[in-house]
Amino acid sequence: MIPPTYLRRLLATFAVAGVVGCSGETVDRDAGAYPAERLRWTIPFGPGGGNDRMARTLIDIIDLYGWYPEGIEPSNRVGGSGAQGWGWVFARRGDPYQITTISGSFLTLPFQAGVPWTPSDFTPVALMASDDAILVVGSDSAPATFEAFLRSARDGPVAVGGVGALNSDVLTLRGLAREAGFTLRYVSFNGFGALSSALLSGAVDVVVTSPGEAIGLLRAGTLRGIAYAGAVPPAWMSDVPTFEELGYGGVVVSMPRGVVLAPEVEPAVQEWWIDTMRRVAATPEWATYLESAGLRREEVYGEEFGRALARLGRVFQSANEAEGR
Amino acid sequence: MEVFVPLLDGFTVALTPLNLAYLSAGVLMGTVVGILPGLGPTAGIAILLPATLNVEPVTAIMMLAAIYYGAMYGATITAILINTPGVPAVMASTFDGHPLARQGRAGAALVMQAVASFTGGMTGLLLLALLAPFATTLATRFGPPEFFMLSAAGMLAIGAILGTERRSGILSALIGFALATIGLDVGSGQPRFTFGTAELLAGVPFIPLAIGVFGVGEILSATHEGGTRETNDRGARDSGGELPTKDEWAESRPAMLRGSAIGFLIGVVPGVGATLASLLAYGVEKGRSTSPERFGAGAMPGLAAPEAANNAAASGAMVPLLMLGVPGSAATAVLLGALLTWGLVPGPLLMTENPDFAWGLIASMALGNVALLAVSLGAVRVFAKIAQIPRGVAAPVVIVLCVVGAAASAGTFGMTVMWAGGLLGFAMKRFGFSTPAMIIGFVLAPLAEDSLRQTLVISGGSPAIFMERPVALLIGLLTLAAIVRGPLRASLPKGST
Repeated sequence: MIPPTYLRRLLATFAVAGVVGCSGETVDRDAGAYPAERLRWTIPFGPGGGNDRMARTLIDIIDLYGWYPEGIEPSNRVGGSGAQGWGWVFARRGDPYQITTISGSFLTLPFQAGVPWTPSDFTPVALMASDDAILVVGSDSAPATFEAFLRSARDGPVAVGGVGALNSDVLTLRGLAREAGFTLRYVSFNGFGALSSALLSGAVDVVVTSPGEAIGLLRAGTLRGIAYAGAVPPAWMSDVPTFEELGYGGVVVSMPRGVVLAPEVEPAVQEWWIDTMRRVAATPEWATYLESAGLRREEVYGEEFGRALARLGRVFQSANEAEGR
Repeated sequence: MEVFVPLLDGFTVALTPLNLAYLSAGVLMGTVVGILPGLGPTAGIAILLPATLNVEPVTAIMMLAAIYYGAMYGATITAILINTPGVPAVMASTFDGHPLARQGRAGAALVMQAVASFTGGMTGLLLLALLAPFATTLATRFGPPEFFMLSAAGMLAIGAILGTERRSGILSALIGFALATIGLDVGSGQPRFTFGTAELLAGVPFIPLAIGVFGVGEILSATHEGGTRETNDRGARDSGGELPTKDEWAESRPAMLRGSAIGFLIGVVPGVGATLASLLAYGVEKGRSTSPERFGAGAMPGLAAPEAANNAAASGAMVPLLMLGVPGSAATAVLLGALLTWGLVPGPLLMTENPDFAWGLIASMALGNVALLAVSLGAVRVFAKIAQIPRGVAAPVVIVLCVVGAAASAGTFGMTVMWAGGLLGFAMKRFGFSTPAMIIGFVLAPLAEDSLRQTLVISGGSPAIFMERPVALLIGLLTLAAIVRGPLRASLPKGST
């Protein structure tokens, strides 16, 4: 004989399945009523990193103003320099509840690692900020200004340190060397820790980094900025001249910080997110974050953002091929 | 002593019920994360970081830092019992710790590790409180040339663990070097030996590799060797030494102090950290010993020195983190990210702008070390019993733990690496190669390669840069002295040294 408890459980299971099935259908019928489910925000890097801080700031702001009542679930999916996380979102083709934040390797992975996607596959939402390079010297080292740095660089090859071998910082630096006419010896480090140690120890005199990384050492005056690639430097380093002012505005390559949805998401959903990101960008909380992270406000939405990403991807790829030869 | 005034203030910050609760949670979590190889302190901190957003930063950092140094205690337990270092920093503790366990002296080894860890951690903190400004100057003396010299010195540890099997030992280290070249090359940005996969772009992950080579490899070779006699059982009956002997304490005490000093100094240097510190401490102890042949066969100083060193290094690592805002390791990089997440600006101004934060953390670390000593000593009996479980029962359980650990650290890819590492470890043992030499090579190779290339790019290819920088020159000369010392001593008539 079948015990009655078993029957009860069976009935309960069917009941739950029925409810779930029905709700699933409602979503299909009312595609216009977005959002109707919890959103998963994939963060392809670990907690505490730049991508993570930006994603969690965006989520906090959206929560604070109640713009996504169904709730957002941040999920750190770490591995393969971001390949795990973006690969996961890529596989959720057409799913309107999958969103992710991009970083530099979003553009370099397709030709470095043969991942099955390119930046153009994702549904572009918004470029929210740009990460601009800053040239930094140790405070008591020889080239105290940008001009002094150029003079010594033109006299002989100069070693400049930076993090990574292929990113916007490096491209900016190479452009500067070409324009200003000096031979660059670029020294690649694998993190800000090793880079700043090299600078503090006097092994290199100049490094290129992003202001957000060096903010503590810059504010304390232990290190000093001599040129900033962005248009307007953050208030706490307003005395640093910009590349533009120094006559080298044309060499700047910026690192885009933005948000994309899974591939082939409906235009209505894309519009919903573009609208939401516009509202996020207008909040005081977002302004505070940009200032503290040393990021520059830059807003490009939708397809225009998609085209900019594709363009920058090509710039990186040709730079990579030039290096590989 | 006015140095202790801020430290006392630190204790008043740390000694609130809420802070103590978070600290205890961190200590416990750190121990667990250390004991179960897989997660590792870096991932442990990263996972708990989002949960700390609702408390004061000082409360949060007490917990997260406790995971970091607590894991150093916990990981050694696994290193001693099943020869598997879940954290690179406890690699050197397997050299003599595991032989002790195999001789049935797991209890004695665990007591020694707890005391040595405590000594190292507390000495490190004392030096941190007294010497922080001086240590900061030390931290800013190290660039690529110095890193290269330090990694070369660390490689002497390979020599120290090899017995007479020199050729296969050097080959083993080279296998480690080769494995370490896999991944995105920092110098050129080109992928090396990744076969077009994204997983290998970040290189072969340490945790699943170590679990495979040591944990799985060990079980495979034991199974292959067969035999029904339980070495563990027999050992336990034979020697019965549940505590270190008087002589062992006597010879381990100076080893702990030397290990603590080396650990703190190396820990202060951003970018090399606890692993190199413990390897150097091991090499120094073996070099100084009057009976170096006992090392690798269960010599207490060979366990005490690296244990003191890696815990002192965990304290020393707070110098660049708190005084400069420069992360020295993966784990401290996550701590640094945590500071930013909480809205603090790490850097030279942190100590002056938020003295409560820095000194509260230092005080909490002292309390945390006391708690860890108590927990470790209290748990010795339990863990010593684990060492006596017959192999037939223990092996399947250990395999399950290995699989779970590898999966926790890097998913299915982690499991693939683990099984491949297990077969590699088994094959190496079978044919007389040295798995510890391999793993040391694997850990030190990236540091050596990156720093050598950076140095030579800076100097335009001239090795003279190593002579021009005093610190690099000094480390180089000390290394050279250590190399020639052995043969020199051997060539002298007996009794003259």
